[in-house]
Amino acid sequence: MEVYHRPCDEGGFNAEEAHNVVKECVDAVLGGEDYNHNNINQWTASIVEQSLAHLVKMGKAYKYIVTCAVAQRSAYGFHTASSCFWDTTSDGTCTVRWENRTMNCIVNVFAIAIVL
Amino acid sequence: MMSALAKEKMFLALKKRGSVCSPNNHESQQKEGRWRSKHSVSTVSHVDEPSPRDEASRLTVRMENTYQLGPTRHFPVAAVNHILKDVLTAYLQEAEYDPEFCRQMTKTVSEVIKAKVKELMIPRYKLIVTVYIGQQDGQSILISSRCLWNPKSDTVSSYALRNSTLFALANVYAVYFE
Repeated sequence: MEVYHRPCDEGGFNAEEAHNVVKECVDAVLGGEDYNHNNINQWTASIVEQSLAHLVKMGKAYKYIVTCAVAQRSAYGFHTASSCFWDTTSDGTCTVRWENRTMNCIVNVFAIAIVL
Repeated sequence: MMSALAKEKMFLALKKRGSVCSPNNHESQQKEGRWRSKHSVSTVSHVDEPSPRDEASRLTVRMENTYQLGPTRHFPVAAVNHILKDVLTAYLQEAEYDPEFCRQMTKTVSEVIKAKVKELMIPRYKLIVTVYIGQQDGQSILISSRCLWNPKSDTVSSYALRNSTLFALANVYAVYFE
């Protein structure tokens, strides 16, 4: 009887690669733009959708959750935290912080492995 | 003989990691000596950089097929909404914005929410809890998220709270382990 071999996870989630991919997306959407209340909806939507599309193109068997927070750059404080209950060997997360003169952007990517 | 040796290896690996392994989550199968243990590790890690991969736990186990197409018990979104509402109002309704306090609070609140949702004991669901707390005084902020998953089994639950000096948003993403 043949034994089914699971495809190798290649060492779990590659955070660095995801970090680069997402950073490129944010640069492409927000680079050179100033904070504009009318466009911000559109920008967050495209950051998230483009990041997701690029992550999927990497071809790994993962479910992705991408969250993006864009805030006007001001004297006001902002904190974010996350805690996860998962399998640490195969799942992972990555956070990208980006800022310019008028705004701050934080993108979180959570990747959960699909066992085929 | 093989089984005793293999079991010893497993215990050693667990000890090295220093994690608390709950019996429900622990499944092991003896096949060709390859193992994976699913841990519930409760550590509050404040690092911004991803932590180095733990080589001791690089043991994979081939699980037997359950022939299950979907979850037997779906994630109770309404119950989790209540949990989020209770936790956020209890911790933050009367609070004033203070940088140190809020920094600690975000971490505490996310751990508390995770613990409470885990108590519901929904089998085979992985959880991601995110908490955002910010000072509220007329500035603009937009938080959005998109997920690529199986909508039949996976879901998200969210609650936002505002008071005079701060706002707080908590999200719980529940992903079925396929």
